[in-house]
Amino acid sequence: MDALARELKRGSAELMILALLDQRERHGYELARLIGERSQGAINFHVASLYPTLYRMEDKGLLDGRWVEKAGQRRRRYYRVTAAGRKALKAHRTVWQNFFEGLNRVAGIDHA
Amino acid sequence: MRNWTRDISAAFARAGHDGDIDIVEELAQHAEAAYETARAEGASAADAEADVRRQIAVWTREASALKRRPRRVAAPQPPPATATRLTAGLLQDVRYAGRMLRRQWSFAMLVIGTMAAGITATTLLFSVTYGVLLKPLPWPDADRLVVLKETRGGNRPRFNSFSNAAYLAWRDSPATIEGIGAWSPRALTLTGAGEATRIRAVAATASVFRTLRIHPLAGALFGDGDETAQNGDVVVLSERLWRERFGGDIAAVGRSIQLEGKSHRIVGILPDRAAYPDRETLAWVPFRVNPTTGNLMSMFEAIARLRPRATVRQAEDEATARALAAPAPADLEMTIRAIFGEGGAVRVSVIPLHEALTGEVRRPLFVLFAAVGLLFVAAVANVAGLQLARSTTRAREIAIRSALGAGAARVTRQLLVENMVLAVLGGTVGCAIAAILHRLLRSLLPPDFPRLPDLAFDAPVALFALGASVIAGIAFGLAPARKARRLNLVESLSEDGTGSVGAGSASTAARVRTVIMSGQVAVACVLLIGASLLGRSFVALVSADRGFDPSNVLTARVQMPKFVYPDHRRAELVKLIVERLRTLPGVSAVTFSDGPPLGIYGGSAFMLDERRVQAASRTITPGYFAAMGIRILDGRDFTDEDIATSRPVFIVNRSFARRYLSATPVGQRVRGWVREERGHWEIIGVVDDVRHRGVIEPPELEVYRYRERDNVGVSTSPTFIVRTAGDPAALAPTLRAIVRQEDPSLVVDSISTMEDRVLASLARPRLYAMLLGGFAFFAVLVAGVGVLGTLSFTVAQRSRELAVRAALGARAADLIRLVLRQGAVVGIAGIAVGVGVGLVASRAVASLLYGIRPHDPVTFSSVAIGVLLLTILASLLPALRASRIDPLRILKGGG
Repeated sequence: MDALARELKRGSAELMILALLDQRERHGYELARLIGERSQGAINFHVASLYPTLYRMEDKGLLDGRWVEKAGQRRRRYYRVTAAGRKALKAHRTVWQNFFEGLNRVAGIDHA
Repeated sequence: MRNWTRDISAAFARAGHDGDIDIVEELAQHAEAAYETARAEGASAADAEADVRRQIAVWTREASALKRRPRRVAAPQPPPATATRLTAGLLQDVRYAGRMLRRQWSFAMLVIGTMAAGITATTLLFSVTYGVLLKPLPWPDADRLVVLKETRGGNRPRFNSFSNAAYLAWRDSPATIEGIGAWSPRALTLTGAGEATRIRAVAATASVFRTLRIHPLAGALFGDGDETAQNGDVVVLSERLWRERFGGDIAAVGRSIQLEGKSHRIVGILPDRAAYPDRETLAWVPFRVNPTTGNLMSMFEAIARLRPRATVRQAEDEATARALAAPAPADLEMTIRAIFGEGGAVRVSVIPLHEALTGEVRRPLFVLFAAVGLLFVAAVANVAGLQLARSTTRAREIAIRSALGAGAARVTRQLLVENMVLAVLGGTVGCAIAAILHRLLRSLLPPDFPRLPDLAFDAPVALFALGASVIAGIAFGLAPARKARRLNLVESLSEDGTGSVGAGSASTAARVRTVIMSGQVAVACVLLIGASLLGRSFVALVSADRGFDPSNVLTARVQMPKFVYPDHRRAELVKLIVERLRTLPGVSAVTFSDGPPLGIYGGSAFMLDERRVQAASRTITPGYFAAMGIRILDGRDFTDEDIATSRPVFIVNRSFARRYLSATPVGQRVRGWVREERGHWEIIGVVDDVRHRGVIEPPELEVYRYRERDNVGVSTSPTFIVRTAGDPAALAPTLRAIVRQEDPSLVVDSISTMEDRVLASLARPRLYAMLLGGFAFFAVLVAGVGVLGTLSFTVAQRSRELAVRAALGARAADLIRLVLRQGAVVGIAGIAVGVGVGLVASRAVASLLYGIRPHDPVTFSSVAIGVLLLTILASLLPALRASRIDPLRILKGGG
């Protein structure tokens, strides 16, 4: 069961990050906190997996991470979705949609 | 506040991981946010910190996963903190600067763009100033070349500058000059080698070439024998004409070309570089200075070469003494009056050639160069302001480097190198743009602008651009560097770069920023004042009353060379064309004149009731006043009946009537002689003064007589003047067609509306007003951006202070007022300085003004009000930003 949860989480991570960043640009901590809050604690991201995931997505061109420097402040790193990221988000959503529908029909799990 | 970055890197280091600096910083950001959240949710500082420490411990265990393939430009490795020699590591500094700029390319682009704009404008204007005023003239030892001017009783001649009397008196064995030459411009029709064209030529004595020390490209220049045409008619061609017509064939020398229908043997080719008086001159024919005989006096232009140690003053004294000592035939008296107005003692002025060529544009060019210099200073100040703002955010980087042992000199050098890289990049871009725009420069400048061919984008101009960039780089690099030297390490490192309350407005940097902003406003103010004065002066020039009505008039010059169209044929053609133009619908009056309508004509002197009188004499046809829109103040125009009965009548202008005639001049009969014709003349009309020389010069005394009475032939290049009911330009094709129908080989070589001719005569004032206006526009832009950017930065820096104020009950309106007040203070200080400088500087443009005083209160006050409004407008955005500050977020450190 643990292994399955891990696999699910890994697969869904990109979807969640893209979905959250689709609304506006955010920094890492905000992403982690929002995922925790919105899943009501069901899904928690470890820092050790969150940031490598962000970096990987950035390398894939789905995200754009940038340092923002403001007068009198520590520089902060923000992430935003690229055009490729938006396309990926759409694709992810469809895949998961189909997956949940199938799951529902087979195992009687209502995802909505 | 904890320094999480340090904690995390220390923890990683202890665990044997070398954390990527970016990742460590991002984790620190994460840690800080987690800490703040815990605090916000009610945890004590100790609990919150302990919680974050536990997280860091987890991250440290998982540090091996917290890696990434390097993709973005890594934070540059700073150059070694200590340098043993001055030049050691300079290259490293440059590389570091390059990497810094790549990381902050938007900032770099802003600086480079500002610099490029400043360098472009400054370099272009420098190239003109240098080419016209500073570049040596193309003739050897040109500093000893002088132009001669003659006055009589202090009066300048009405045309040309020097008389044969003064010339011949000085020519033989002079003490102060090596030689003297005479020349006179000509327009000649060239046939026989290609298409027939009208070319600009010069008749010059052989001594002109000797004085200038010009050597021919091929063949020879004139010898003294050529002046008397001992060997037939000869011509020297310009290199340009030679290449155009003969393809640069050396065998052209010795061949003949047809000038004015006469064969001229080509004796030599003059190199374009040395062409005198300018490169538009395509051919030179011999000129002979004849002695004064009877009442004949000839006028021309004269140049001389001073002896090596002779001064201008010595030459003037010698020439004047010789001219005074020369015999003055009594018959010459009337001619002298005709040419110089009143008679009087002769005086010769000697003016260095360079000054004579460029005198008129010297002051405007200096004014424009000063203006562009101010603009450049404002642009550099803008960059300095940006750099100063940025240096605050870089204080930590610099503090760390200092803490690691970099000396103040080392840090200063690195900052200077960084700015120099920016400046040189900006300068290079600006130089490139200037080089491209330079090609357009010649078409922008009026064609009569002096030394146009000497304008080139050459090494001195490029050097200037480079020098200006380097100086600018030092200028805007010094402010942050100076600031870096005074950096308080403990403060910068411990406070995490967050400004304390009130620090934003009281620091030295803030004062420097205020001075910079005020300075930019002042520069904008000065340039706007100058541009407004010149602009309003130009409008006044355009709308000035010239005594004739330039609207709805088409003018067209037609070339009728004498050898093709003899006198009677020209008269016939002109009559036919005038008659046909009169019948066109929408044409209310047609006439023609011998020269360009805004040109100067010869003068004549005559006796009037035994008094000697001088006036310009114009020969016209009936209808001239109607076509030109010249008001007839009293009496009438000439009629066909006057012509039919050959009645001895003339018309005078207002100035003439006021000077010489009674209160009721019309009908007055005067006894006098004109053009050798003695008799009684009746004055039949008085017309308004016409300002042919331009509105600044006082009107001339003028006498109008009708052509048939004078028995003068039609000129070889008559200009038709057509007054229309509608748009005069629309008539141009019809006019061309009519001329062609009368004689297919006639060439209309200059057709334009009278309004265009007036505008063309104002090309220089228009250019100066436009250039200064452009500079003023950029200065306003620079000041606006400067105020907007600097105030925005100040608001960001003062966010804590503003948040505290908001938390303590300041309303949005209070915060807006706070920032607007700062903007207004900057504006008022800038305007005060700008208006003060403007009051002094406007004296420099006083001589360029018409119809407006240099201290015109309307201009000054409207500029002041306009600039103040602009400053407040530029402060509005930062003010609104200040009013939207969320105290909770700021004070919790969320920024």
